[in-house]
Amino acid sequence: MWADVIVEALKENEVSLIAYVPDISINKVTKLMQDDPYFHVVSATREEEAIGIAAGAYATGRNAAVFMQSSGFGNCINALTSLCMPSRIPVPMFINMRGEVGEFNIAQVGMGRSVRPILDVLGLPYYTLDTEDRLDLRVSGAIKLCHSSRQPLALCMTPLLHGGKLA
Amino acid sequence: MHRFSATKMLLNHVGDAPVVANLGPSTDELWHAGHRDRNFYTYGSMGLCSSIALGMALSTEERVVSLDGDGSLLMNMGTIATVGREKPKNLIVVVWDNEQWAQTGNQPSHTAYGTDLEQVAKSCGIPRTATVSDEEELQSVFMQAMEEDGPWFIVAKVEEMEEYMPVAPIEPEMTTYRMRRSFE
Repeated sequence: MWADVIVEALKENEVSLIAYVPDISINKVTKLMQDDPYFHVVSATREEEAIGIAAGAYATGRNAAVFMQSSGFGNCINALTSLCMPSRIPVPMFINMRGEVGEFNIAQVGMGRSVRPILDVLGLPYYTLDTEDRLDLRVSGAIKLCHSSRQPLALCMTPLLHGGKLA
Repeated sequence: MHRFSATKMLLNHVGDAPVVANLGPSTDELWHAGHRDRNFYTYGSMGLCSSIALGMALSTEERVVSLDGDGSLLMNMGTIATVGREKPKNLIVVVWDNEQWAQTGNQPSHTAYGTDLEQVAKSCGIPRTATVSDEEELQSVFMQAMEEDGPWFIVAKVEEMEEYMPVAPIEPEMTTYRMRRSFE
């Protein structure tokens, strides 16, 4: 199952601190990690706080990742441009994409559609996760690239992967 | 109490503990007080100083010190709640509270109008808190914080200085490299 694949990819790359803001569609994977003593899962109040926590972990030798929703990506852009990017801190960001096929809430569409163009402007790579086909290679490879380039990177998870939120 | 003098005093007591400094004068003064591999200077990401320190405290068993500011922390007060929820015993947050945004024209901050950050910390479940207004008092609480389990949240009331230290070298990639390497 996709959630197990992500958990294994994180372990393979020694990512053990997870900072996240809750989201119903990524709940499956964050819950798996909460039940797994390998991970320390920190519930942040806001996405930029999650980036700060992940950055601090990395600076002291512990690899970290962040889980959030596309709306929350808008809350953390300054943390990326003024902390992670100049400080060369790699943070893999798992972003649940709202505003995709099946979206029922117009308020989710604008930010959902803006995530990838914003990443383009920032020069940060992203990969879309919309199928279980070769998911292990994609996720693990993306985390490796994130670490070797020492820059943040996004994994955009769409409803085609996880089923999305039903109205 | 003046921040630069107090920073120099704190550095005498931190040992090898990682110290994260808020952007602007707190970072400049930490550099001038005594550059070390375990100083984590910030140059942007206003509000995240104590969040960075929290991430560190959850990743090492050593003491971790955050030198935050009132204006910055007001931007990210949620992180006080996260510290209270996680309760890392090794985290010491010091808030330089000058009750203003000094770098942008000395506009009074909310702490000048009654916001009490120590009470916020208490209500978020942070077990060890203090508000101090002179260096001797700060030294005494800080030495206790270096020995006794926290998390600690210490509001240090400071008078804003008229003269600032020169800007510290802006080399964020080296800050990360030095700090991470010291944990290998």
